[in-house]
Amino acid sequence: MKLSSTIFFFATWAALAGPPGDGWPTYHGDYSGRRHSALTQITPENVGGLTLAWAFQTGQQAAIKSSPLVVDGVMYFTVPDNVWAVDARSGQQVWHYTYPPNKGLHIGQRGLGIYKDWLFFLTPDAHLVSLNANDGKVRWTVDVADATKGYWTTMAPLIIGDHVIVGVSGDFDNLRGFLRSVDPETGKTQWEWDSTPPPGTKDAATGGMTWMTGTYDPSLDMIYWGTGNPTPVLTATTRPGDDLYTCSIVALRPETGKLVWAFQASPHDTHDWDAAEVPVLVDADFHGAPRKMLMQASRNGYFFVLDRETGKSLLTAPFGPVNWSLGVDARGEPIPNPKKEPAPDGRIIAPDEGGLTNYRSPSFDPKTGLFLVDAHPSWSVYFAKPADGTYGWAGADYGVWGKGEIEAIDYQTGKPRWTHELGPNGSSAGVLTTGSGLAFTGDAHGNFLALETATGKTLWHAGTGSRIENSPETFELDGRQYVLIGSGSVIFAWALPERR
Amino acid sequence: MGLVLLIWSVAAAAQDGSIENGQAVFRRDCGFCHGRDGGGGESGPDLTRSKLVADDQAGSTIGPVIRNGRPDLGMPAFHLSDQEIAGVVAFLHKQKAKADADKGGRKGVDEADLLTGNAAAGKRYFDQTCARCHSATGDLASLTKRLRGLRLEEQMLYPRSAKSTVTVTLQDGDTVSGQLSYLDEFTVALKDAGGKHRSWRTADVKYTVSSPAEAHVELLPQYTDEDVHNLVAYLETLR
Repeated sequence: MKLSSTIFFFATWAALAGPPGDGWPTYHGDYSGRRHSALTQITPENVGGLTLAWAFQTGQQAAIKSSPLVVDGVMYFTVPDNVWAVDARSGQQVWHYTYPPNKGLHIGQRGLGIYKDWLFFLTPDAHLVSLNANDGKVRWTVDVADATKGYWTTMAPLIIGDHVIVGVSGDFDNLRGFLRSVDPETGKTQWEWDSTPPPGTKDAATGGMTWMTGTYDPSLDMIYWGTGNPTPVLTATTRPGDDLYTCSIVALRPETGKLVWAFQASPHDTHDWDAAEVPVLVDADFHGAPRKMLMQASRNGYFFVLDRETGKSLLTAPFGPVNWSLGVDARGEPIPNPKKEPAPDGRIIAPDEGGLTNYRSPSFDPKTGLFLVDAHPSWSVYFAKPADGTYGWAGADYGVWGKGEIEAIDYQTGKPRWTHELGPNGSSAGVLTTGSGLAFTGDAHGNFLALETATGKTLWHAGTGSRIENSPETFELDGRQYVLIGSGSVIFAWALPERR
Repeated sequence: MGLVLLIWSVAAAAQDGSIENGQAVFRRDCGFCHGRDGGGGESGPDLTRSKLVADDQAGSTIGPVIRNGRPDLGMPAFHLSDQEIAGVVAFLHKQKAKADADKGGRKGVDEADLLTGNAAAGKRYFDQTCARCHSATGDLASLTKRLRGLRLEEQMLYPRSAKSTVTVTLQDGDTVSGQLSYLDEFTVALKDAGGKHRSWRTADVKYTVSSPAEAHVELLPQYTDEDVHNLVAYLETLR
């Protein structure tokens, strides 16, 4: 067996070291979720010369939402029911796998996990498929959840040791959320952690879906995961109280799935504000003392800094318009205002249901201490009445107005040091920062942007012809640094002009 | 009415793509945003109360929206076959008929649900704030003939389709004005008085945008829920 860079990566991985220069072996690039690369070939001085190295077109209508893996010079990426292996030097297809037509919800697919030479892929009808990375042949397929009950799956599995960690989606039924660890060789379930009690439990919420890839700290041996909103979504009459562990950040043991601690971003949520956003792991000083931190810019509009050993709050601060809380309690958790629960005649709410941010990845830049997030200041009206029932959505909400902006949040204060407007309604692009002081992202019009991380100033851009719905990433091959972005059905690879 | 639609949709389904298939396609491609039953979900509106669905005849209005999307509202285009579209159309008409027949226990937002405010208080708010730009006997005369209920409230909070104008000053000092058709960091474009599309690099010109809808955005953080309900109650009196 070849010594794949994946094995090398996992064997030599120092805590929060960042992605290896020659690849992007996990959804976030590394285990920390910082989406920060140490690469420095492309700099603020030369980025103006960035040019197209290659583009790969899927020829399909589905928008690319996945973060490609790049391992041993091959890029692996997905849309629902489809996996491609593409040569990362040339953009030429190596193989293409299609999953059989199915009735699952085809809202998106975020990518793969890789273990040795095996890829792991989740399907709209909630199956986990293991593929041979060399030829795309199926090794095995196992059920993750029952799609006929309303589950579907979209996330990129997280590989930790010999665990394939998979999460589930499903908001239109009162279903239990869970996280599952699967054996990478056999597909057998190793453990399952349930975020909510079984459906039908008196006065308890269902939901707490686990639809984004979490992060991992090997030194503390904890997985960090954000959980989704409770169900019924907009009506809470059947689920009084905090609805644990929905809208929470949880720390689990990768060997057993045992809960170590939990922090609830939105107790008793009634606005669909999943706390599934990336839990970003940062080791740095906080107010003068070294800390192992976890940072999340949450959909509900709050930026959280936690001590990730204990789950204790270090900082909670809104990072845009937020009008639904009565403040923050002693644990650092927001206190929901009962008067801002959805009502028959409507409640005006900020942010909107899409939230002040969402699935798109933020980035932490260690040099400046800035947490860059694609934010969505927004307003909406939320309704619910008895006729809406207590199953699934159970209400209605209407976005009124919103815009996009990159906010560069100083994690010491929670306040933005700069903002960069992205346009009306908002952008779906994530953020990448690099060691040379560059930040890559996309605006609301489909322009791919290179900004100066310290100031937010635009240094380069290219119109991509469609909305950008994934997060940028970077790697270096043969001494050339590439930056990848998906737009519509195309993956673009940008680089400086080739040396002759 | 509901029965007529139901009969129509059953007949249509028999010809072109079954309701069952339409339902499966809808759940696969549309359900996330519009809800599995079409009654609204993440970010997508309740289609059983949609004017576009109500106006549709055998796919006349729904078909083009599926094929072209509504990029301005965040809806992508879907490349479905004619049969699949026919199935989705039949499914939506069935869902609408079912919802319309559900009198009393109707899900979603009814006009009556919104009328909890005090129209006199709404008028006071209007006179102090909205009257800077609007007039109950001028631009908003007989408002309820055009807008009522939820659509009125949405337009009141933010008139999404209001057009902006822009004046561009060129390097030689000439100015060009027109309806703003595109603006990002790098390019500004307008439709000029002759209907011609013109664009410039923002680095090369100066420009001033006038957006009447911006005043609505400034009010959003200031409203109480009571203000909104009172204003809707008042605007609903403009018959």
